[in-house]
Amino acid sequence: MAGSNEVNLNESKMVVPLNTWVLISNFKLAYNLLRRPDGTFNRHLAEFLDRKVPANAKPVDGVFSFDVVLDRSTGLYIRIYRQAHGEEPQLNIADLEKPVTAEVAPVIVFFHGGSFAHSSANSAIYDALCRRLVGICKAVVVSVNYRRAPENRYPCAYDDGWAALKWVSSRSWLQSKDSKVHIYLAGDSSGGNIVHHVALRAVESDIEVLGNILLNPMFGGLERTDSETRLDGKYFVTTRDRDWYWRAYLPEGEDRDHPACNPFGPKGKSLEGIKFPKSLVVVASLDLTQDWQLAYAKGLEKAGQVDSASWVWLSSLYVDAGLDCWVQRYGSACSST
Amino acid sequence: MNKRNHGETSSGGGFGVKGSGECSSSSSSGKAKMWDEEQDASGGMDELLAVLGYKVKASEMANVAEKLEQLEMVMGTTPNLSCDSTVHYNPSDVSGWVQSMLSELNNPNPNLDPLQPIVESPVLVPPPPTTTTATTVDSSAINNVAGFSNSQVDDSEYDLRAIPGSAVYPQTDINEGSRKRFKSSTGSCSSLLPSSSSLSSSNVCEQTRPVVLVDSQETGVRLVHTLMACAEAVQNENLELAGALVKHISLLAASQAGAMKKVASYFAEALAFRIYRLYPQDCLDPSVLDVLQMHFYETCPYLKFAHFTANQAILEAFTTASSVHVIDFGLKQGMQWPALIQALALRPGGPPVFRLTGIGPPQSDNTDALQQVGLKLTQLAETIGVQFHFRGLVANSLADIELSMLDIRPAEVEAVAVNSVFELHNMLARPGSIEKVLSTIKAIKPKIVTLVEQEANHNGTLFADRFNEALHYYSSLFDSLEGSSGLVPESQDLLMSEMYLGKQIYNVVACEGVDRVERHETLTQWRSRLGASGFEPVHLGSNAFKQASMLLALFAGGDGYRVEENNGCLMLGWHTRPLIATSAWQLAATDL
Repeated sequence: MAGSNEVNLNESKMVVPLNTWVLISNFKLAYNLLRRPDGTFNRHLAEFLDRKVPANAKPVDGVFSFDVVLDRSTGLYIRIYRQAHGEEPQLNIADLEKPVTAEVAPVIVFFHGGSFAHSSANSAIYDALCRRLVGICKAVVVSVNYRRAPENRYPCAYDDGWAALKWVSSRSWLQSKDSKVHIYLAGDSSGGNIVHHVALRAVESDIEVLGNILLNPMFGGLERTDSETRLDGKYFVTTRDRDWYWRAYLPEGEDRDHPACNPFGPKGKSLEGIKFPKSLVVVASLDLTQDWQLAYAKGLEKAGQVDSASWVWLSSLYVDAGLDCWVQRYGSACSST
Repeated sequence: MNKRNHGETSSGGGFGVKGSGECSSSSSSGKAKMWDEEQDASGGMDELLAVLGYKVKASEMANVAEKLEQLEMVMGTTPNLSCDSTVHYNPSDVSGWVQSMLSELNNPNPNLDPLQPIVESPVLVPPPPTTTTATTVDSSAINNVAGFSNSQVDDSEYDLRAIPGSAVYPQTDINEGSRKRFKSSTGSCSSLLPSSSSLSSSNVCEQTRPVVLVDSQETGVRLVHTLMACAEAVQNENLELAGALVKHISLLAASQAGAMKKVASYFAEALAFRIYRLYPQDCLDPSVLDVLQMHFYETCPYLKFAHFTANQAILEAFTTASSVHVIDFGLKQGMQWPALIQALALRPGGPPVFRLTGIGPPQSDNTDALQQVGLKLTQLAETIGVQFHFRGLVANSLADIELSMLDIRPAEVEAVAVNSVFELHNMLARPGSIEKVLSTIKAIKPKIVTLVEQEANHNGTLFADRFNEALHYYSSLFDSLEGSSGLVPESQDLLMSEMYLGKQIYNVVACEGVDRVERHETLTQWRSRLGASGFEPVHLGSNAFKQASMLLALFAGGDGYRVEENNGCLMLGWHTRPLIATSAWQLAATDL
């Protein structure tokens, strides 16, 4: 209804700067065009509209990047971001995988957001974020270009995340002085969801993950929570679009209580007794799915994962907004673990 | 860390311009600009958005926001919102995009008037030639070679499989099939002049070195180091050291495998040529190059993409013309034109009269290569039912072309397209040439100029830089040949394709001065040049993007190849590394 629409637009405009509002609204409207009612996705238009940037072996603001294809058949690639240490202005192929020199060199495996359907590792918004992470966390950042829904449903994204984690943990050039790769998993929105599930797989292997960082992670469930009802449509996001993305990602016929979506729900399993990485969960208080995110944090706590923390933070919802805040939070998370 | 922290901010209300709540971040040094500094951004563009790929003037922000609100309202009341028939252009221009969406949704065009026949289905298949008998077609060519033979045209030589789609598409009735209507949002082709207001980010782009490694491949670290060291030695004129290194490279290359080995070998050979001053003369033999290019055309999608996207732009420019004239700066085997002839044949309202002027170099054996190609095209056009006239123009250099040679008819009578696929960079080898060519193009007053070029800067002044750029570029290219062609390694097609690229490598590395013609420059550089010369961009839209993507999926199994949109231009790349770029141009308004 026109009236309530107006109210919504005004409210969302009050919580972010105008340019951020323009950015997010532009995304929102474009995304509305891409989701078809029949559950299919206009992938060509999505790729056309997505602003992408190439990797750049020439350092910019002290950070350079390069891409590595891990699996030709699926197109799985990762974009690696590293600090340039006063090298020549040009780095050649031979220099890219030079061993890290720090005593403790954190490596952040990052999963971009996009509700499992949108964006790529080379999307401008995520390239910008990863570059920031390098400088502030003094880390190597590995951004994973996982396969997306609806063309590739669960568990493709987790499979790709797991493949990337294995690759990272087996690189000798990423080892700190103790001959181990110090790995953190980080991600926003669907990326946050992937963090949880990849960490789960790591638990059953001999790969150690030192910490999980989940930013506005994408979780849900069948039940309609209070925050979903209260905030539906108020700040750029609707339950309807959330439902669409879950339907696109989850196996056909499954509902939102599937453990991928609701890890501590009726079909989920407890992490009690499991050595799960300590987790930082960042929740935006204007996020309509915050009840699910808080439930996730609670689930960790219940399972005795006492090293976890969650932060409630009044801000807007997307990667780009409040960037500095997030990045500083990661920085302290990385250095304190 | 076992407490849950609820760090709440002073709630409610606006956050003012900073909007970061409790974290009033101190601006870190470097490029991080706070939102309240957006007014100071270069060119008045908002810096936050610019870094993220969007161009919005700070002064326009409120206006754009308002339009977005309107658009949301309209979208809310539009059924079938995600119907796929709208064509989108240049998403970086947020204002333009929103405006065109508003126009589209507020005034849906009920008239089924598709602007071009190629909509959902990619390039159409010509019917197989029904006859192999030659018809003496008077193609009224005016060139330096007298006459042409009327012999039987052997169709097997002119391989129609070279036309994109023919190998894959069944020979269906071309006129059937749903052609969805779409509307070109012509009102909003925002032509932001490319050069002067370029953002710092685009300058950075020009210096970008995108690198894609393939995990399974041995990167040959020592090999690369040695190649670079050799290039440095050459640049420093330390030829003795360079010579020693080149020998070492050959040894190292021998123990490599796959694409890396081939690339290293070509570069090593090229370095040897340069060091020992044995510039290979047969680099420039046109007939040999044409053959190699045919194999390259077959093996990988780069040329097909180039032709396809250029044809899209030409078709859109020619929608209403009853008489059209295409000037092809490099006819070669004429592989671009059957598809265009086909598409024109299917134009609603019937095809225009189509004149093609094909330019090519003199042949060493005095054969009339242009005429031979022209003949085949004329034959094809006849079978399809398009009135077609061919004319060949032999020229040593495009800079030798004068307006009077081209038989340009008045714009009211005939629409002209100038098409240049991997030709223009050659003009950068002689001072004055590019300026001359661009001014000739302007004098032609074309409706559209289509330009396809390698997306690389192989024209820098420092040799070692050039060498490095080329090494990265051709590594990607060779990798894509190996990875996607599906060919048995060492097949003839593959070898010939590699030779085709190898000759370019020789030229970039071993030649200098007027001999060094492979002076590739990036899209950013071409934009600057063309903008400064009085041209403005014509944007390629989401329809061209989609069809190019679909074509790739069919041809190359899709794996690895990617189409990207870049400010109204389309690029084809291997994984994330753009390798060629197609752009379209028209005369800037003030120049008409």
